[in-house]
Amino acid sequence: MGAQPNYVIPLSEVSDRHEPLIGAKAARLAALARAGHATAPGFCLTTPAYEQLLAQSRLEDRIRMELGRKPFDDMRWEEVWDAALRIRSAFVAQPVPSEVADAVATALAEYPADTAWAVRSSAPGEDSTSRSFAGLHESYIGVVGFGAVVDAVRLVWASLWSDAAMLYRKELGLDPGRSRMAVLVQTMRTEDVSGVAFGRDPRKPAAENAIVEAVPGLCAGLVDGQVDPDRWELRRSDGATVAWHPGHRDEQGATSPLLDEHDLSHLLRVLTDVESLFAWAPDVEWTGRRDRLTLLQARPITTAAADSEDKRGWYLTLRPGTARLRKLRERVADELIPALEAEGERLAAEDLAACSDEELADAIDERAAAVERWTKIYWEEFIPFAHGVRHLAVYYNDAVRPADPYEFVGLLQGEELLAMRRNSALRSLAEQIKPNVPLCEAIDEACSSASHEAAAWQPDAIDAIRAVEGGEAFLTAFQHAVDNVLDLAYGKTRLADRPDLILRGVLELARSQNTGAVSHTGPGPHTAEALAQRLLAAVGPDRREEALETLQLGRLSWRLRDNDNLLLARVQSQLIRALNVAAERLRAGGRLAPVVRLEAEDVAKIAAALRDSLGAKVVLEQKASPKQAPKRTSPGETPRQLIGQPAAPGVQAGEVRCIRSSEDLGRFRAGQVLVCDAIQPMMTHLVPLAAAIVERRGGMLIHGAIIARELGIPCVNGIAGAVDLLNDGDLVTVDGYLGIVTVGPPEFDLELGERALVG
Amino acid sequence: MSQPDPADLQAATAVGDAQEHGQGDLSEQIGRLVRDRPYGVLCTQSQSQPYGSLVALGSTDDLTAFVFATPTATRKYRLLSECDHVALVIDSRSGTPSELMDVEAVTVTGRARQIPSGPDFDRWAELLLRRHPHLASFVRAESSALFRIDVIRYFHVCRFQEVRQWVPSPTT
Repeated sequence: MGAQPNYVIPLSEVSDRHEPLIGAKAARLAALARAGHATAPGFCLTTPAYEQLLAQSRLEDRIRMELGRKPFDDMRWEEVWDAALRIRSAFVAQPVPSEVADAVATALAEYPADTAWAVRSSAPGEDSTSRSFAGLHESYIGVVGFGAVVDAVRLVWASLWSDAAMLYRKELGLDPGRSRMAVLVQTMRTEDVSGVAFGRDPRKPAAENAIVEAVPGLCAGLVDGQVDPDRWELRRSDGATVAWHPGHRDEQGATSPLLDEHDLSHLLRVLTDVESLFAWAPDVEWTGRRDRLTLLQARPITTAAADSEDKRGWYLTLRPGTARLRKLRERVADELIPALEAEGERLAAEDLAACSDEELADAIDERAAAVERWTKIYWEEFIPFAHGVRHLAVYYNDAVRPADPYEFVGLLQGEELLAMRRNSALRSLAEQIKPNVPLCEAIDEACSSASHEAAAWQPDAIDAIRAVEGGEAFLTAFQHAVDNVLDLAYGKTRLADRPDLILRGVLELARSQNTGAVSHTGPGPHTAEALAQRLLAAVGPDRREEALETLQLGRLSWRLRDNDNLLLARVQSQLIRALNVAAERLRAGGRLAPVVRLEAEDVAKIAAALRDSLGAKVVLEQKASPKQAPKRTSPGETPRQLIGQPAAPGVQAGEVRCIRSSEDLGRFRAGQVLVCDAIQPMMTHLVPLAAAIVERRGGMLIHGAIIARELGIPCVNGIAGAVDLLNDGDLVTVDGYLGIVTVGPPEFDLELGERALVG
Repeated sequence: MSQPDPADLQAATAVGDAQEHGQGDLSEQIGRLVRDRPYGVLCTQSQSQPYGSLVALGSTDDLTAFVFATPTATRKYRLLSECDHVALVIDSRSGTPSELMDVEAVTVTGRARQIPSGPDFDRWAELLLRRHPHLASFVRAESSALFRIDVIRYFHVCRFQEVRQWVPSPTT
């Protein structure tokens, strides 16, 4: 029998030479134990165990396929997340090699069967004084039993390929192909207090102070920032307390310090010893006090911790835990969204025409400030809460282990989205005009007479609609829809000012309902309720409440994530409305050129002009509207097969219609292939008309992908430069199973045509 | 007034702005592949029967033409004399399954014609022998024929499925 690689090494047998096999985290813990510090016993699963899994399963080829679809630099974070989710599912689906599983079973047999384990990452080369992967790779605590340990090991291995870890590795210039993962499996100790301690203050290394942070119970809450710790600054020379900040926690007794003087001086002594042992100032995780003090981890304090250029902290925000999501839900769902909705309604109700010039200037300033304020909130709070749906994805996949890692998307079906409300309002309008041919013709005529130069309809066009039977009722219903669900800005255009853009869509909806031009298969076989039951059955009664909360957070995050765009677009629409009223007034006074498109930077000028009692002319710098010309990288080059993400299954062919600006909204026809940068919530009414969808922005959870899946429309996204490479009228075949867009038929025109005869 | 990019985290991540094409200029990419790979599979046909042959290749700098030699007693010579519509496949395989996403290939379509002896022959032979000097006696043998392929179109494949077409123009 040949020598079998050492898959498991007990911590008590680790020596320095093992570090390349077990990672620095495990090697340092063993060194601490050898130096007499208390550490939790356990064993290391070496990198050969990970390599054995790769070799047996060919997961490496799978990872290459996942990450090779497009250049990593071209992948947006959502696409990296998707790739990471699929890789994680591939790891979870792989059986652990029997020889590795046997080695783990043998190691576990040394301990009582009910031992609770901490299963932690220890990737060789991951931590140094200039970088830290802390928190980017996974760790699991409270793991009991062979099966659960093996499951946790698999997830720790997979976390080498988490979105955050991949992005951070890329930022550091590390080659992901060379990364390996060892796993540290240690018994857990339950103490009344845990924390972290720094040999020096990472933010003020010259201050000669050590830092100790403590939380009640386990350290996990502190490490992921969920529990506010008590915090001490201790003078290194004599241990004197320089500062103490009590943690803000809800539990009883939170006001009395968690550690006393003796605990602190013991910790400081340990910090000093660890610094002497390793010759660097340590960052230590610990649990217990004095003679029960156990060191969980020691690593060099990263200088990067104080460096604002380091993005590790940002990557960590990509994975908020339940506690953080819970806090965000309270803030976003209970306070911010209702406030944003109320602000939009209040601004829409204001009669701007009745305002004096001064009042109108104030209204413009107020709206501009509101847009700025809500945009900031959008990035800082709405987007982080949007991770709730990703949190649900991982939770569902870990519990249910579905063959399709996107099965969880079915849980989001049927959520009451504002965009759906808007679509249904437009559908009702379409149904209203469908049987009325003269009305359809009058609307068509009115749309043709409208131009983007005009702020509204041509009056005679409206009269023509009104004159047709049913026209008056239609106009009333349309105005109602505009006020309630279409008061939105799309770029610089206020949709309420451009009814023709919307009505073109309504006409197309009516036409497609008549002819059945587009028919879609609808959602897949799983209903939201059936999937929810599947999840609850998988987690069992003990975790039922946790699962229900995760589900509720995920669904709410998905719904609000969609609604916040529309609500913000409404506030933006109200800014444009005020600017239009002002521009009209200034034009009437001969102070503004008749045709002028207002830009963001013109807001201050317009407000100032309204306040200018001397009535000076307003001069606005006119920028040419950027018209994107199709780009080809080489003369003579044309795309044939574009590769993106298979975002919604199905195969459909059709003529391309690119949506580059609001003007294009009115040009879309039923049965065309909708090509755009991204389906925005204010253009979802076109989606049911589309044969297929192609987007530049990639990701399985972006708006267009989810709506396409819900409607059963093939969708390929993540095609860099989609709107540049494809032209209106191109014939394309969209393969939503494979993520391929094929341009043109498989012809040999050139080979068999005139050119071929020249030779 | 510009709309925040819904669901787009790109601005906030370290992922760089999407380049229009990660692969760069297609003609340069094809040129690199053709220069790196001295051989290709020549596809011929006659009477509805396709046929493939591995051939040593030379090419013009502007990629508008290839050159190869073949004995006249071969099946491919007969097929070429019956139908001059040909294709060439040139690729970067080394042979391991794990390289799937890294392999590049071009399918070239074109028309083949034999080059009669004379100054033209010397020029085209030189183009082939520059890359394959050991074929000098083979190229000049009485029983060999020299063919040029005038390229009509390139189909370039990378990343397993990504396909772009390129029609080269002669440089003056």
